Amino acid sequence: MKKLIPLLLAIFALTSCEKDADADKLDNKFVVYTNYDKSADFKQFNTYYLPDSILIIGDKDKQEYWVDTNAQKIIDTYVFNMDNRGYSRVTNKEEADLGLQISYVKNTYVYTDYGYPEWWWGYPGYWDVPYWGNWGGGWYYPYVVNYSFSTGSFVTELLNLDAVQGQTEKLPVLWTAYMSGMLSSSTDVNVQLATQAVAQAFSQSTYLTNK
Amino acid sequence: MKTTRHISFKALAIVAILTAFTLPSRAQTSDTFYSNIDWQFNFPISNSFANKASGWGMNFEGGYYLTENFAIGGFLTYHSNHKYIPRQTISMGDNSSLNTDQQHTVFQMPFGIAGRYTFNREGMFQPYVALKTGPQYARLKTDFNAFQNDDNTWGFYISPEIGMNIFPWVYRPGIHVAAYYSYATNKGSVLTYDVDGMSNFGLRLGIAF
Repeated sequence: MKKLIPLLLAIFALTSCEKDADADKLDNKFVVYTNYDKSADFKQFNTYYLPDSILIIGDKDKQEYWVDTNAQKIIDTYVFNMDNRGYSRVTNKEEADLGLQISYVKNTYVYTDYGYPEWWWGYPGYWDVPYWGNWGGGWYYPYVVNYSFSTGSFVTELLNLDAVQGQTEKLPVLWTAYMSGMLSSSTDVNVQLATQAVAQAFSQSTYLTNK
Repeated sequence: MKTTRHISFKALAIVAILTAFTLPSRAQTSDTFYSNIDWQFNFPISNSFANKASGWGMNFEGGYYLTENFAIGGFLTYHSNHKYIPRQTISMGDNSSLNTDQQHTVFQMPFGIAGRYTFNREGMFQPYVALKTGPQYARLKTDFNAFQNDDNTWGFYISPEIGMNIFPWVYRPGIHVAAYYSYATNKGSVLTYDVDGMSNFGLRLGIAF
């Protein structure tokens, strides 16, 4: 066994000779990943409710929201795209067919294990089901999401508020958009990256329309 | 006159080549070992995952002459090839899509045994034919923004090679040049990309001991 050690060390040294690709060629725009419920009929919905804030998933164990002008620019991009797809924003969530919740992963400090899908549901103060209505059974994801999250990510979930409510009923998620990437030192650039990513999320989700 | 000059030049060139091949190499006559260390340039010719030619590789080889001309030995080679994939939306299945640009990398590292038959071992120019075989480790990797997805694979490797050791001076080392073809059975998948088999053509330039 001792004789193997130098050999293994040599192999390790050689594998470290792998030449990484030139990262400077990458455009540095956000990676945009979307999922949706194939059985959903998006044409049956007309209205949506979107809070005027973005939930921050950070290092605090209580709810924290992002509400400044930069957050508003990002929210406005959602509104612009939802309106373009034929949905009308309403100010009373009881009247809405759809609910749109946006979260920003500031860091993953609170978590020790976030490798499994939907880990963010466990975040203290995350958009909880009672915020939207009486779905005692919790969330329902009709599809599998398979990705990991990192600092600087946006998570968007579109909820079916027309779903039957009740103590054992679950609130279905119809669409998820995950946008993530390395941030720059400029806030303006980061907001621009985020708004571009939101537009791209809609662009690659052509099914999300009631037209 | 022109024809005569042309023939004379041709004859002179043939004589020069023959002389060079038959010149005794003082460093060679009694040696039973050989080794080469090379820089190499690799052209992937079968996989579209990372098919841009590159010079990011090395070759190490050494062996022992069992007879006057036939040697057996070992080798280890490694190489990285890349390919940039412009931003596009990839369907990841029935209900999901990924929009990103990517940098693909294939890192190949075969190693194993090498057989070599060398001609003119007494000469300054020592051409040879060789065959190498063994396992190949290969890593398929894609980098996109801050993310990475990879697949570590193993396969069977075989590579015919022609080359030449050149010893223009009294003492070693000399110069080594070679051309090779290689095929490995590695299979792997990264995101929606599948690789089944890896063929390469390449050139080596290095030092002969």
